[in-house]
Amino acid sequence: MGLLDKFKPVQAMSKALSSAGGDPTKVVLEKLLSATEAIIGGRQTILAGTNNYLGLTFDSSCIAAGQRALAAAGTGTTGSRMANGTFSEHLALEGELAEFYGYPFGMVFSTGYAANLGTLSALAGPEDVVFLDSDAHASLYDGCRMSGAAVYRFKHNDVSSLEKRLRRLSDKAANALIVVEGQYSVLGDRAPLAEFARVKREYGAYLFVDEAHSLGVFGKTGRGVVEEAGVLDEVDFVVGTFSKSLGSIGGFCVSPHRELTLFRYASRPYVFTASPSPATVATTRQALHQLRTQPWLREQLWRNARHLHGGLEALGLQLGPEVSPIIAVRFEQSDLAKAHWTALLELGVYTNLMLPPATPAGSSLVRCSVTAAHTSQQIDSIIEAFKSVRDASLPLASQR
Amino acid sequence: MASDSAEIEQQLVEILVAFLGGARDISRDTDLIADLHLESVQVMEFVVEVEDHYDIAIDLDTLSEARTVSDLAAIVAGAGGA
Repeated sequence: MGLLDKFKPVQAMSKALSSAGGDPTKVVLEKLLSATEAIIGGRQTILAGTNNYLGLTFDSSCIAAGQRALAAAGTGTTGSRMANGTFSEHLALEGELAEFYGYPFGMVFSTGYAANLGTLSALAGPEDVVFLDSDAHASLYDGCRMSGAAVYRFKHNDVSSLEKRLRRLSDKAANALIVVEGQYSVLGDRAPLAEFARVKREYGAYLFVDEAHSLGVFGKTGRGVVEEAGVLDEVDFVVGTFSKSLGSIGGFCVSPHRELTLFRYASRPYVFTASPSPATVATTRQALHQLRTQPWLREQLWRNARHLHGGLEALGLQLGPEVSPIIAVRFEQSDLAKAHWTALLELGVYTNLMLPPATPAGSSLVRCSVTAAHTSQQIDSIIEAFKSVRDASLPLASQR
Repeated sequence: MASDSAEIEQQLVEILVAFLGGARDISRDTDLIADLHLESVQVMEFVVEVEDHYDIAIDLDTLSEARTVSDLAAIVAGAGGA
């Protein structure tokens, strides 16, 4: 078999995706109009699949902060912090993140993916044991694999499934690392973190929580599901991203463990990656400031989430398990989900199509994510588009 | 306490048939991916069922060595599956 032959199945999958209507992997946003609208296929389109939860990508103060940083510090850092130097703004952002969570340690990575890869691969080693939620993000799987640790999956959000495996491994699981997400990105369901924290205590394990989709969304002050569940003082490692609620790019790890300053030497995805650009750091810092000082953004986000969830539920669509800014519409067949996604785009609503095997329980989903920047009229338009597509597709669905 | 290897293979076939939701032509030599066309995620879901059945834990690296029912049976036996 030739080196490139392994891509033949991928080519077949790509063809299948393109065969009926648009291909969700090839959507081009030709011009951004705002945090909630863009020109796609020459058409003005409402963006309902961006993860831009607080709608800060077009926040004027964030844009101004980025522009000032560009002028003051240039376009890029041109290298790794370990080899080419740390900018003072990197340290400032790390300090602000640590202070926000009330921890002594904060570290910034160039992407959210690198944050998970860099944290897990440095934390765990070949002698260690990691327990990973079965629905965890690919970056968590990859970080675990890179660590060389023995990795055991447990059933999604199933505390008893985790406990069984801890018990089965007995002494081997001493000092084990439990890896979960605060809110899961596909269906928007939250982890029972208080229960996981109890298990961590009972078995002397460590608890790692990826808050990529939770930061700025959950908790009284926006610190995520760890805050909402009241486990900030029990979690060992909180990892997050800047590319969702903070409208930027990058990732971070904060922790109550001061020893993690040594991460800077041990984390290869940190050591061997160019550090975040000055403009990226500046917009992130300003977005974090907005998150902390503008609680109305979170309130508006949840109003919009309830509005869209209620509207889609009233249409009789099958939705995910919780009301949240992530609203996934489930379909029995993948071609029906794809037909809905394509028709919605043609009606000027951009969503995310998610198909097996990248979805929980093999379900086919049209996933929406709401932002604080959506207007009530835009939410109504999204609901109306779903209604139009549902009405048009009922005969199709009834033939199956 | 490990069961006889052939016995574990037979039990795995039964668990696999139930996991797939019905009768399939499955033997000890059936390749989970090449013959049954399972996605890697589905294989991992199936193994969670196997772990619970035998009250064992199988790490992902070890699992990656298993292609057939027979391979998995050997892993189960090695992990103390009874």
